[in-house]
Amino acid sequence: MNEEPLQPIPYRLRWRPEGIFPGAHPGHGEGAEGEFRRHVSLLRQPDPRRIDLRVSLRDPYGELHVRQFAPRRAVPVVALVDLSGSMRFGDAVAGRVADLCALLALSAMRAGDSFALFGCDAHLREEASLPLARRRGLEEEVRRRLIAAQPEGRGAAGLMEAAERLPHRCSLVFVVSDFLMPAAELENLFDALWRHEVVPVVVRDSSVEERLPRWGLVEVGDLETGAARLVFMRPSLRERWRLEARERRQALETLFVRRGLRAIDLKDALDVEALARRLMEG
Amino acid sequence: MSWAGSILDGLTRDWGVDHPLVLALMALALLPFLATPFVRRGIPSAALVPVDPLSRAVAAALRLAGCLAILALVLGLAGLHRREQSVEREGTGAHLVLLFDRSSSMDNSFADRAPTGDQESKSAAAKRLLAEFVARRPHDRIGVAAFSTSPMPVLPLTDHHEVVDAAIDAIDRPGLAFTDVGRGLALAFSYFADDTDETSRAVLLVSDGAALIDRRVQDALRDAAARTPVHLYWLFLRSRGSPGIFEVPPGEDTPQANPERHLHLFLQGLGLPYRAFEATSPQAVADAIAEIDRQETRPIRYVERVPRRDLARPAFMVAGFAVALLLAAKLAERRLAPARRTRAPAAEAAPARRAA
Repeated sequence: MNEEPLQPIPYRLRWRPEGIFPGAHPGHGEGAEGEFRRHVSLLRQPDPRRIDLRVSLRDPYGELHVRQFAPRRAVPVVALVDLSGSMRFGDAVAGRVADLCALLALSAMRAGDSFALFGCDAHLREEASLPLARRRGLEEEVRRRLIAAQPEGRGAAGLMEAAERLPHRCSLVFVVSDFLMPAAELENLFDALWRHEVVPVVVRDSSVEERLPRWGLVEVGDLETGAARLVFMRPSLRERWRLEARERRQALETLFVRRGLRAIDLKDALDVEALARRLMEG
Repeated sequence: MSWAGSILDGLTRDWGVDHPLVLALMALALLPFLATPFVRRGIPSAALVPVDPLSRAVAAALRLAGCLAILALVLGLAGLHRREQSVEREGTGAHLVLLFDRSSSMDNSFADRAPTGDQESKSAAAKRLLAEFVARRPHDRIGVAAFSTSPMPVLPLTDHHEVVDAAIDAIDRPGLAFTDVGRGLALAFSYFADDTDETSRAVLLVSDGAALIDRRVQDALRDAAARTPVHLYWLFLRSRGSPGIFEVPPGEDTPQANPERHLHLFLQGLGLPYRAFEATSPQAVADAIAEIDRQETRPIRYVERVPRRDLARPAFMVAGFAVALLLAAKLAERRLAPARRTRAPAAEAAPARRAA
């Protein structure tokens, strides 16, 4: 479909995942291999296969040291995609959101993690969802489902339904939405996702925030409610519009910061480099 | 319902349409409230757009313009017009009847011969001066009558001065035969028969001679003078050598020998405010007319019939204006350009590259 194949990007977690599934992330507890953690005495961990001879010989007390590793664990990676009518603007879902989710699916699969997709409008949409899986070609299926999904309907209450279907251990959850819902609803959603590591992905479009016409008439129709309005664009209104957009962004940022979340901006186009940098920071 | 009926009645009394059935199309005027000329651009949320009263006003104005355009078009197609009406107007002036002598002697100059060179015939001088006179008195209602062998009604009392000008313009046409002042005066008096206004009325007789007035006609004139009090002015264009009307001639003083003087005496005897001006040159005519002009100024009130006025053209102009407004708005339409998909161009380019 696309010319250059997707390159998986690595990502780091801000926590040590629990669980038993082997994966790529340094996990909780002690393991026999993986990321080196520390040396402990043989008495504390009686595992003679991992005696570190060099360290033991250097020890003036002649104690035997054993290498200890963090186990490699897998985490579930989940994308919750808002498919309400407002996401129809600029074909965001079929475009950059599908790109992003496909990339995440591929990266998760390569890292040995499982990936799940939940598309929601007012309800959870099964045809735009995929249960946790780590099979090959998952990214293409994710993309196909998102392109086929026609965003419609009002509200994003389905996100709450999806939150209930997430795994019961800490997962990496990307919430992809334009976050135009009321703040209370958003708070509820984050409350429901308390168990998980949440990365909000804010889908924005500069054509309704900055690249506005200076003069002219525009009839805008709300993609969710259908309410139409005529707007007489002029420099002063343009300034006001930009200012309000900036304030809305700031309010959203404040809300995220209060919950210790760091959002990813998905503005106009998917910037893979920036995304990779951001995910490597954990 | 009665008030609705009275409103409808009031509307249809003054206004009308040629094709009432076309008015059914007026229902289309509701269309602008259902749709707009613009392409609706989706926006994620209406809350993104700042509240703006001016935008709302513009939207309302454009809807109204659309409504107005359709209404005006329908009214224009239906042939809207204002019915013929009578309007009461007020002005200073008089009701004036100009009574012209069209006998052939009027074509002569004041020297009583065919005009040559820069000489002016009596009728031409009268025409010129009377045209100026009428032009100075815009609020007069003026009627025109002429007489020769028999009286000729030319123009009833009217305040359409273009017509009066045209009538005055025609008095220097070549004249006819004789002079029958009596019946001409009777005709002039009859102009005021159904004129009941409290205005100053005057008859201005312009002639260069007179003739005997039949006794019956004399009686009729006395009757008419008693019924309709008018001011009477006689502008006597006296040719050189002809007897004057004021002085008593030396010879026999009979109406047959001296009809002008006896007409003057008869008119004096009518019991009307009467003045005669004896003009022997164009300058004297001008003086006489200025005198009349000074005398006949009193406020008058008159009813004017306004002809039916077709309003289809203004209606179409209004519609054109409204449509132009809508067109300008449509041309000013802009779109919110959403960001292009990043990978789409690559996908489009791919088949091309493969084909190459």
